[in-house]
Amino acid sequence: MLVLFETAAGYAIFKVLDEQKIQEVDSLWKEFETPEKANKIVKLKHFEKFQDTTEALAAATALVEGKIGKTLKKVLKKVVAKEAHEQLAITDAKLGGVIKDKLNLSCVHSPAVAELMRGIRTQMEGLITGLPPREISAMSLGLAHSLSRYKLKFSPDKVDTMIVQAISLLDDLDKELNNYIMRCREWYGWHFPELGKIITDNLAYCKSVRKLGDRTNVATSDLSELLPEEVEAEVKLAAEISMGTEVSEQDIGNIMHLCDQVIEITEYRSQLYDYLKNRMMAIAPNLTVMVGELVGARLISHAGSLLNLAKHPASTVQILGAEKALFRALKTRRDTPKYGLIYHASLVGQTTAKNKGKISRMLAAKAALAIRYDALAEDATAEMGVENRAKLEARLRHLEEKGIRRISGTGKATARADKYQHKSDVRVYDPSGDSTLPSGSKKRKFEELEAEEPEAQPAETKTKKPKKEAAAAEPEAVEEEVEEPPKKKKKKKEKKQEAEPVEEAEPMEEVAEETTEKKKKKKKKKVKEEEED
Amino acid sequence: MRPGFSPRGGGGGRGFRGGGGRGGFGDRGGFGDRGGFGDRGGRGGFRGGRGGGGGFRSPSGEGGFRGRGGGRGGRGGRGAGRGGFRGGRKVTVEPHRHEGVFICRGKEDALVTKNMVVGESVYGEKRMNVEEGETKIEYRAWNPFRSKLAAAILGGVDQIHIKPGAKVMYLGAASGTTVSHVSDIVGPEGLVYAVEFSHRSGRDLLNVAKKRTNIIPIIEDARHPHKYRMLVGMVDVIFADVAQPDQTRIVALNAHNFLKNGGHFVISIKANCIDSTAAPEAVFAAEVKKMSSENMKPQEQLTLEPYERDHAVVVGIYRPPPKQKK
Repeated sequence: MLVLFETAAGYAIFKVLDEQKIQEVDSLWKEFETPEKANKIVKLKHFEKFQDTTEALAAATALVEGKIGKTLKKVLKKVVAKEAHEQLAITDAKLGGVIKDKLNLSCVHSPAVAELMRGIRTQMEGLITGLPPREISAMSLGLAHSLSRYKLKFSPDKVDTMIVQAISLLDDLDKELNNYIMRCREWYGWHFPELGKIITDNLAYCKSVRKLGDRTNVATSDLSELLPEEVEAEVKLAAEISMGTEVSEQDIGNIMHLCDQVIEITEYRSQLYDYLKNRMMAIAPNLTVMVGELVGARLISHAGSLLNLAKHPASTVQILGAEKALFRALKTRRDTPKYGLIYHASLVGQTTAKNKGKISRMLAAKAALAIRYDALAEDATAEMGVENRAKLEARLRHLEEKGIRRISGTGKATARADKYQHKSDVRVYDPSGDSTLPSGSKKRKFEELEAEEPEAQPAETKTKKPKKEAAAAEPEAVEEEVEEPPKKKKKKKEKKQEAEPVEEAEPMEEVAEETTEKKKKKKKKKVKEEEED
Repeated sequence: MRPGFSPRGGGGGRGFRGGGGRGGFGDRGGFGDRGGFGDRGGRGGFRGGRGGGGGFRSPSGEGGFRGRGGGRGGRGGRGAGRGGFRGGRKVTVEPHRHEGVFICRGKEDALVTKNMVVGESVYGEKRMNVEEGETKIEYRAWNPFRSKLAAAILGGVDQIHIKPGAKVMYLGAASGTTVSHVSDIVGPEGLVYAVEFSHRSGRDLLNVAKKRTNIIPIIEDARHPHKYRMLVGMVDVIFADVAQPDQTRIVALNAHNFLKNGGHFVISIKANCIDSTAAPEAVFAAEVKKMSSENMKPQEQLTLEPYERDHAVVVGIYRPPPKQKK
């Protein structure tokens, strides 16, 4: 058997000298304890050193992808093909399959091979002769750096990153814009408070302020480009009787500067939105059609990339963005949320509150399909998304109409279907009362009790009271218990009890009570101890 | 309970004051790409909210490490919290029980490591110079609220197995903050294989590795150790902080490939990442059980209170050598 062993410095091919020992998987490591021992098991047959980092990098990337690199092919042809009758041991089963197909060499991959590789790796420096250990570590350091750089440079989800960043910027801009506008209204409000009430649109407000400047200019300036006629008239009227304070030229200058900023950012925002729309349409057309570009982009940004999103099941897509609510619900065993980011999709938005959950579920199911199609299809068109959206809309209409049609009172059958028992109400079957056999059940019951003690306790105390007398009837048993130190010995005692056949012959009721009695004994013991104190 | 293996910690009674609630799941900041071993970003929220408290407490100190809130991993607080070790105060450094780790005694006590790249902070942490005769040695502060390994050391873990000259595989290296300290500990003779899947954090990791030649950065999924088999030799210790539901399996896979017989593993477990509904203790117990079935013998377990909530660190040995019969 030959062994292919990849290192950062090159390909090593070993010949196994003692095939018998290889099969003993568990004790194989002993043969690799020292370099001398290892040299008796395997022998270096050939070492193909990489000429430079470029070659090493090519080999490493091929290895990561599970392909045969140029160098590897050369080595295999040169060294292994001569002894085609020998099997070739390989770490990566996938690579083995490729080698088998391409070069027609029989490859093996088994636990024994994995163990063999471990051994070789342990004694790598001793086995690969003519290569100083310094060189290996230097090569692996260099290779690791260039491989990582290569990975980062050709990151597959670089297109998605653009969307992720764009949607984040869009959100930031919205937030900032709102802040600026609030500030602008507040500031200019001291000078001309009436304007804020009259012009509600933010951009129009800023543009008007930009044009007006001082309130006294209203009469002379023309706002017809920005505002409708009646609003303009209102502004002019308000300016004459305004209760605002006077401000200096400088103040107005600063406010106008702020207005410039707002207008500029608004323009940039709309430009960015167009960019995002185009990008989304190019990258994920079906998803965009299903949920809209904003929700789609948010979904992608939440998952990290389109490919990551495609790996999520529909149920996850449905509640993406509602993690806090989800985990809170899971922890407290309440109902999990019905929608996350997908709530803002237009399809969910146009539904009545009652059907929102249903529609979000269906939308998530179809959207998950669309996402996978977008991420993995060769040539994705929006056809499938359009089709599915039409289906969902039809379904939505059907759902909405159903309520109206039911006036006639024939909805009995559907009404029954509506009844849905949620998981938080489901009662758990208690298996403790299952067994009627007195013998086997006793031990098990005790163990269960031990395991669930904290939870079982409150329930136990309830049943205790009426049976106080029963416990009092067995004073010897209680005393026995007291004699022994508490926890550890109790277990021992349990074993002893089991060994006694007398116990097992007891009637069934006794067994059932046994557990509660135990508890009581403990309690009694505590009381006694207190008394002793 | 198995002899020689004891869950510890949780009491918090080690003289460190706990602080603050956790950031929670809510808004995890929009900057990270959450490709790889996610959830690490969420830690930012924790640190911000603590006032004075936590860290070491010296009698005179008015608060341990300053909280650094905001941003990705809290880099935002730079410059705001000057003070601490600066200001001309004399500090003395004494070695910690763990080799390669030091304690800096000054106005506030701090865990520090010897800086390998003198004059450079990796993530905005404080540096302090100590003159010993002619030579000047620089140390870097190690914040237990940002690094689970530091938290484990302060929590009193018995062995970290990471020591000068050791070869360490670090799974879930993230931006390389803790990795840089590990690289300080192992020194120029040691080696750190830092595995991280996320490209965004990998970028930062690569920058850290550029300056420290004992870090070998690997941008790859730790679930597929055969993809980086070319780069990695046998290691003495595997440290894992991957916060994935199948993290024990991930560690086992890597151990089978790269951890030498009798090598050790140090795994940080975040209970919420494995099962958010079960009790943390139950999760830890289940993980420990899984380890045992993979030929990984746990030796020690301790919680990371008060630095992290519902976290545990499990230290153990892989393929322990058979006991000598007497």
